[in-house]
Amino acid sequence: MNAADAPGRERGQTLRRRLAYTLLLGYALLMFVPFAWTVITSFKTLPDATRLTVIPDPITLGAWEYTLSRLDPSVVVLFANSVFIAAAVTVTNVAFGSLAGYAFARLRFPGRDALFLIVLATLMIPDQLRVVPVYILFSSVGLTVGAGQYVAVIFVTAVSATSIFLLRQYFLTIPRELEEAARIDGAGFFTTFWRVMLPLATPALAAVTILAFQGAWNGLFWPAVFLSPDSDHWTLPLGLTLFRLTGGQGTNWPPLMATVVIATIPILLLYIVFQRYFVEGIAAAGVKG
Amino acid sequence: MMRRRAPAHRRPEAIAAYCMVAVPMLIFLLLNIGTFLYAAYISVWNWNIRSGPVDFVGLRNFERILGDPIFQIAIRNSIYYTVVWVPLTMAVGLFLAVVVNQKIRGQTFFRASFYFPAIASSAAITTLWIFLVAPDGFFNEVRGALGLNPLFQLFGFGPHQNWIGDRRTALNSVIVLNAWTTSGTFMLFYLASLQAISREVYEAAAIDGANAWQAFWRITFPLLRPAHFFVATVGMIGGLQLFDQAYIAGSPNGDPVNALMTIVLYLYNALFVQIRPGYAAAVGIVLFVIMFGATLVQRRLFGGTPAS
Repeated sequence: MNAADAPGRERGQTLRRRLAYTLLLGYALLMFVPFAWTVITSFKTLPDATRLTVIPDPITLGAWEYTLSRLDPSVVVLFANSVFIAAAVTVTNVAFGSLAGYAFARLRFPGRDALFLIVLATLMIPDQLRVVPVYILFSSVGLTVGAGQYVAVIFVTAVSATSIFLLRQYFLTIPRELEEAARIDGAGFFTTFWRVMLPLATPALAAVTILAFQGAWNGLFWPAVFLSPDSDHWTLPLGLTLFRLTGGQGTNWPPLMATVVIATIPILLLYIVFQRYFVEGIAAAGVKG
Repeated sequence: MMRRRAPAHRRPEAIAAYCMVAVPMLIFLLLNIGTFLYAAYISVWNWNIRSGPVDFVGLRNFERILGDPIFQIAIRNSIYYTVVWVPLTMAVGLFLAVVVNQKIRGQTFFRASFYFPAIASSAAITTLWIFLVAPDGFFNEVRGALGLNPLFQLFGFGPHQNWIGDRRTALNSVIVLNAWTTSGTFMLFYLASLQAISREVYEAAAIDGANAWQAFWRITFPLLRPAHFFVATVGMIGGLQLFDQAYIAGSPNGDPVNALMTIVLYLYNALFVQIRPGYAAAVGIVLFVIMFGATLVQRRLFGGTPAS
């Protein structure tokens, strides 16, 4: 729409517009250059990695082979850990967020406003204030050793105020008539929620799914707190950090860049397919201010 | 009898609602509100990670923190980072939002591109950045190829400047990195508010003979005041919590020579390197007080409803 800009009222205007477009396009492309450079570097040899050449010379899969087979712990293990944690956190956020969001939006119960205020108040408490007591609490019940470490990371991010808030706001916009019709047909509150409201909230569910997955997949703070001691439990971001800092991989750039690509590809694919929900989710999360 | 506001016929509704909110509320009460109080309790003890409280030290942890030169460096770095990074990222984000809000061809493409750097993990993007600004990395090679080295020489930077490894430039390199990746997020925040401004305001201004530049500064910018406030607050809270990039680039020590030591890194260090939970909890309280105070100051300065 409105694609046809009033064709060249003045030559100068057209020229200026062309220039502006060129600059804009240049800036947009600049956003991709670092990632493109990462991909290119992952196909280079180490001496070639510091050279400013677009085509690797020689083109080699050496870094990829090294990354996939020789890192300890294996990048496959890191990937599996990341998938497991991100999937679990996403499921809990969507489940708890939609149930609580629906209750806060639609059901009447004593103490509703006070409880919702508590939900919003959690946004004011930074993770860094929580980390010491949470760590002490979790270590006293065995969640800082072995498989408990996964539970710790999942538990502490299992539900966020943002997830509840986004879904509540969306449920508020759905007309009441729809659920009242279901209620008249004798459906209970959970049935109404599951059969009627949840399907109507698909866009908000998609936004929360994406925000939660992205946050968990990319997260570094809680994994660094709970998963650092056992390298078998590392996630991709934690592995990437500790490989470089402690693994002697400091400047072995091609395998590091291959790991960056592996850590980024799932989010990149999500972004390409669900770009709309990323943008809407962020915007909606921002509107609460 | 219990005091009850819900009439009897609504009781099933209330029970259903409590079931729906029970798990998240328990988690919040335990891991947010509860830990807040627990942190305050831990902070006045010399605490052993295994056996718990050892001896009561009152406010001595706080005295030691505020008197520690490393903590003063951490505070200075976090505040410097926030004060430079927030306005810079806001300016870029606002500029991008205004551009994307125009009726231009390829609007969706531009919006998607500008947000693109924000999708990757801090670990991936920081590792990438360290590679790009390494002594013989992409950035130094490109400026050499473009013949810009004499210009950089003027500021005392050699052709193989180690941007992230030199204490003079480490923190500024992180600022540029995070301004680049976060400007897309700020753009989306601004965009939501820009789209709410009615076109009629601009039409009226155009009739009065205002050009685009004047319209921006006299109309758009002041009308965005709530958005400025929101973005500045979110940015400030995020800035004071700087951890990921400092940890990835500078390890828990904030290398080089504390150039990347931030408040949160200092806390992480106290908890996991020095293993002093009581002390670390006190750092958390100090951080919270700083953040809370800064939010209040910001509200006084920029808050309130605009006169529109």
